[in-house]
Amino acid sequence: MNKIWFSPLVLIALLGASLNVAATDEVNVYSYRQPFLVEPLFNEFTKASGIKVNVVFAKKGMAERLTREGEYSPADILLTTDISRLIELKAKGLLQPAQSTELSVAIPAQFKAADDTWYALTTRVRNIYSAKRLGKIDFNYEDLADEKYQGRICTRSGKHPYNVALVASMIAEHGKADTLTWLQKVKANLARKPQGSDRAQVQAIHQNLCDISLGNSYYFGNMLKDEKQKLWADAVYINFPNQNNRGAHVNISGMAMAKYAPNKVNALALMNFLVSAPAQKMYAETNMEYPVRPGVKPSKLVAAWGQFKADDLSLETIAKHRKAALILLDKAKFDL
Amino acid sequence: MKPLIHIENLAVELQAKVILTQVDLSLAKGEILGLVGPSGCGKTTLLNTLAGFVEQSAGTIEINTSNQQQIKISTADMLPAEQRNIGMIFQDYALFPHLSVNENICFGLKKLTKTEQKKRCEELLTLLELTEFGQRYPHQLSGGQQQRVAIARALAPQPSLLLLDEPFSNIDARLRNELMIEIRQLLKRLGMTAIFVTHNKDEVFTFADKIAVMHQGQVLQIGSPANVCQQPNSWQVADFLQLGSWLPVALVAGVNHTQVTSSIGQLAASAIANVLVDNKHDSTVNYQLLVKPNNIDLCQQQVCNVLVEHIGVTEQGYHYLLSSIEQNSALAFSHLSFYSQELFALGDKLAIKLKGEHFNLYTRST
Amino acid sequence: MLAGNKNTSWKFFSWFFALALMSPIVVMLLGSINASSDLFSHLWATVLPEYIRNTLVLGVLVALLSFCFGVPAAALISQTNIVMGKQLRWLLMLPLAMPAYLVAYLYTDLFDYAGPVQRLLRAWFDWQSPNDYYFFDIRTIGGAAVVIALVMFPYVYMLTRTAFEQQDRNLLRASRLLGCTERQSFYQMTLPLARPAIAVSLALVTMETLADFATVQYFAVSTLTTAIYDTWLGYSDFAAANALASVLMLFILFIVIAEQRARAGQRHQSSRPNTQHQRKQLSIAQQIIGSIFCWFLVFAGFLLPVILLLVMVINYADYPQFIALIATGKNSIEIAIYTATIATVIALILALFQRLHQSRSRMIPVQISGFGYAIPGTVLAMAMLATFGPLDHVINDVAKALGFTAPGLILSGTVFAIVFAYIVRFSAIANGTINAGISQIPKSLDLAPASLGVKTLPAIFRVHLPLLKSSILVAWLLVFVEAMKELPAVLLLRPFNFETLSTQIYQLISDERLEQGALGAILIVLFGLLPIIILNRQKDNP
Repeated sequence: MNKIWFSPLVLIALLGASLNVAATDEVNVYSYRQPFLVEPLFNEFTKASGIKVNVVFAKKGMAERLTREGEYSPADILLTTDISRLIELKAKGLLQPAQSTELSVAIPAQFKAADDTWYALTTRVRNIYSAKRLGKIDFNYEDLADEKYQGRICTRSGKHPYNVALVASMIAEHGKADTLTWLQKVKANLARKPQGSDRAQVQAIHQNLCDISLGNSYYFGNMLKDEKQKLWADAVYINFPNQNNRGAHVNISGMAMAKYAPNKVNALALMNFLVSAPAQKMYAETNMEYPVRPGVKPSKLVAAWGQFKADDLSLETIAKHRKAALILLDKAKFDL
Repeated sequence: MKPLIHIENLAVELQAKVILTQVDLSLAKGEILGLVGPSGCGKTTLLNTLAGFVEQSAGTIEINTSNQQQIKISTADMLPAEQRNIGMIFQDYALFPHLSVNENICFGLKKLTKTEQKKRCEELLTLLELTEFGQRYPHQLSGGQQQRVAIARALAPQPSLLLLDEPFSNIDARLRNELMIEIRQLLKRLGMTAIFVTHNKDEVFTFADKIAVMHQGQVLQIGSPANVCQQPNSWQVADFLQLGSWLPVALVAGVNHTQVTSSIGQLAASAIANVLVDNKHDSTVNYQLLVKPNNIDLCQQQVCNVLVEHIGVTEQGYHYLLSSIEQNSALAFSHLSFYSQELFALGDKLAIKLKGEHFNLYTRST
Repeated sequence: MLAGNKNTSWKFFSWFFALALMSPIVVMLLGSINASSDLFSHLWATVLPEYIRNTLVLGVLVALLSFCFGVPAAALISQTNIVMGKQLRWLLMLPLAMPAYLVAYLYTDLFDYAGPVQRLLRAWFDWQSPNDYYFFDIRTIGGAAVVIALVMFPYVYMLTRTAFEQQDRNLLRASRLLGCTERQSFYQMTLPLARPAIAVSLALVTMETLADFATVQYFAVSTLTTAIYDTWLGYSDFAAANALASVLMLFILFIVIAEQRARAGQRHQSSRPNTQHQRKQLSIAQQIIGSIFCWFLVFAGFLLPVILLLVMVINYADYPQFIALIATGKNSIEIAIYTATIATVIALILALFQRLHQSRSRMIPVQISGFGYAIPGTVLAMAMLATFGPLDHVINDVAKALGFTAPGLILSGTVFAIVFAYIVRFSAIANGTINAGISQIPKSLDLAPASLGVKTLPAIFRVHLPLLKSSILVAWLLVFVEAMKELPAVLLLRPFNFETLSTQIYQLISDERLEQGALGAILIVLFGLLPIIILNRQKDNP
């Protein structure tokens, strides 16, 4: 009896030992971001530091996985594409503060947590794309509710984090009741049920199905780089909304150190690398996002879209209104 | 009076193989015919051809139904099974497992109104003593009850002809005889014409008015059971019906008349009532005498000519199987049946001889 | 029949495996206890009724369409002399090799307003906007139902065809003699007799549909699974998500139980399958319509998607892609082999326990081990984390207390969790196949070995396993293919740097770059073809 129960334990111990041996000089990343977006950066990091980066990518359930893993979690760094996720991870107590001179130099105060638990890496604007056939127009998000655009608007699911964050910023500006009315009117203007990705909306404009869509800034740049999609992108203008008032809604992609990070030193090294000027330049060039580090310029293409005014609403406020935004989207039956 | 069913020159070929050939049969209304023969002789195919499951390649089937209508089925006009007004009881009964007893019985009554259906069903349930089982499903019934449901279902549409495929093979041997008599009385009472297939000759003698013996796709003999037993018209018929043992004999031309010689003695030609020569096998003629047990007598004085090879017990005494002591001759034999009250031991040597008259002599090729 | 010592250990293992497979479900149910009623009342007041309506409509439509595709196809192949019947017999099974999410993506892309078909039509007829013409909208419940049914109907086709072919011919003959025409006999006898097979396959299809998320997402159709994801990922209310998932599972169980109840008391199993039967001779018009019907199914469910993929491969595939494919392909195959092997062994243990053991509760292990099929993959993945996370903690704590280094997350953080999740999900398939095989073995064979002085365990190896050889192979292959296709569970549970073909394709699809993954998709389809080819060859040379 003793023998039988002992052998699995030995096996487990051996297995564990081998896992631990393998864990030196590595850093483990849980990423909400697609691997092909971040892999070039990690390759550079490994080249420079000799530290191997292990990645697991999942859009859904990362927070749950971290919670369940608790103190034995192998995760060191978390990468997200949305402020709300970072705030959620923080609220669940899954993060720890990370400090270094590099980080404090690189990231302005409005792009990080007050307690240093998370840092933004890039910003992205929620743009309004419009068909070139309409001519140049100065849009406000509020205009999407205008009756003159009836049947002319396309968007992806309202429940997508990018749209939820936009709705949250609308709540911060106008309050729940007005935002609900706005949502209902936008829904009434939709050319079709919310579906597909941000790029698919541009395609629909190109195909004359609608005239206006919501989309993140970097998609426009990426589409212009793609042979097939350039055709679609050429049919639209990218517009920065609300330039005459509060400014365009901005979200971030960010990073944080996991509370139980087993490779803290390596993790901090990776964080320092990701905010370094060369890495920030790569973000700008390959992903067409706006780097957060002061002094690093966006790519030429992105810069060509012009300067814009960003809404200075704090990221925490956006995250705070997230749940309310979801409730309003449900109430408006936006996706149905 | 016109026969109820008349089959002429019927033939069936399946995948270029002849299954039935030159089948002629007639049955009057109310007659029950037993089809017998070794397995593979075509008797089930004949049943399936009548029912319409197998297409005939030649010949005609005529059915004269009760209401003066005539159904004629030929290769030119192959009537589908459902229009032949024929009922069938399958060996495994083929009760519809997803329908209750009532629903099974009413299955063929779709043309009647609901009330008529109910009435007919109740009549049949009463007739077959099934009244308490109407709501049950087939798997909830015993084998005998299932068979009665099958009969009720087949009778419900009042077919002009009933076909039964080995109907008693799944019934307990002890109950079988009683059941056969019961069903025969039922069919007679209803004036039902029926053809049933079996490989058990005893069933025919109990159940049928007429017997037809089949062999290799042909009907060899047809007639009343008594007639066929007394006058089997070929070696195959006598052999299948097990009417006696076979004794090899030789015909020896004598001075005045031919003599019949066997290893247990000789017979005068006058003792031979019938010589049934099968012309097909004239190349190697092999004569065999049909010997019934009462054609053999013990004779103490003479030289022993047989050995006891098997002993069985019957109500009437001991049943012995004998074989000739001389095994190297052309006339050697084994398995000759002999009944006696006397007890012998295995391996005992006996002396026997033939007795009696009206022997039947057959030819058989080797 | 299982006597002495073997008796208890067999019983122990059966219950152990069954309860292990059941544990994530129990965890899920327990996790739903703390669900907040606030969120429910909000959902109920806003979107939930519509989600439920959509779920029901989708389930019913898919079942209906699968029936309309599968049953006539089965009838044409098994009952008539349709041209090329021998080829169509296995061609009609091919859609099974296609992952539903892949076909969904290809078809929404193809028939979308911006897709090539409508673009071509607009170019031809010089239409300018959607108002100029009518074209069906693929992103609707109807569109989703058609596409899901196109890849799911082979389940109905396969099971129904087998049922048709194994029917006792005498029952059909009896019905003919009792006045049914060929057509009436089909509707009153053949079809009702095949009802268990049809019902089981439709239940299977409905289960898959209701538990699906990725496929309906492409069609922009919100169902109960949408609500599960919203509550979990949007509202971060894990308990409410568990509660909704539990409701969905109970809903599916209700369907299964209701179906079983409805035919309690009837027995359909034919005792004596009859091989020789006459096929219905079709008229020329019937031949044409029947052929069009069958070939449409083959084309729409398999050929067209494969052609679309091949075009992508030809245009986009390159050598580096192929090299990358080897590593991911190897991961997929390894996981699928582990899953298929373990699931088949467990199914054998449970099925033999049910067959040979005397205890009254012997049915329970098989039944409870199959529940996992009704749970959406991601929810199951969450339940796995909730189950094995705490276990891992205990192991680590114990190891540390004993003075070892903590081994890390050896259950929830490794391939173990993925394989376990797959087994939970696909046990129902293996169980079903093995049980069907066992029911074909006469009961007398359970007793015969003992009469020859052979003990139970050797008897199983010498009698039952050889007789179950083909069932074991089929079960293994079916689970293997499903495991190759399965997506959501592996997405969340995988260890670092671990990609499978399905995760790779999914990521490329979600980035609208399927072209890069077409080669991998073709590979999944090719592996999906394996069991179909082998199944078909088995039927030909029994």
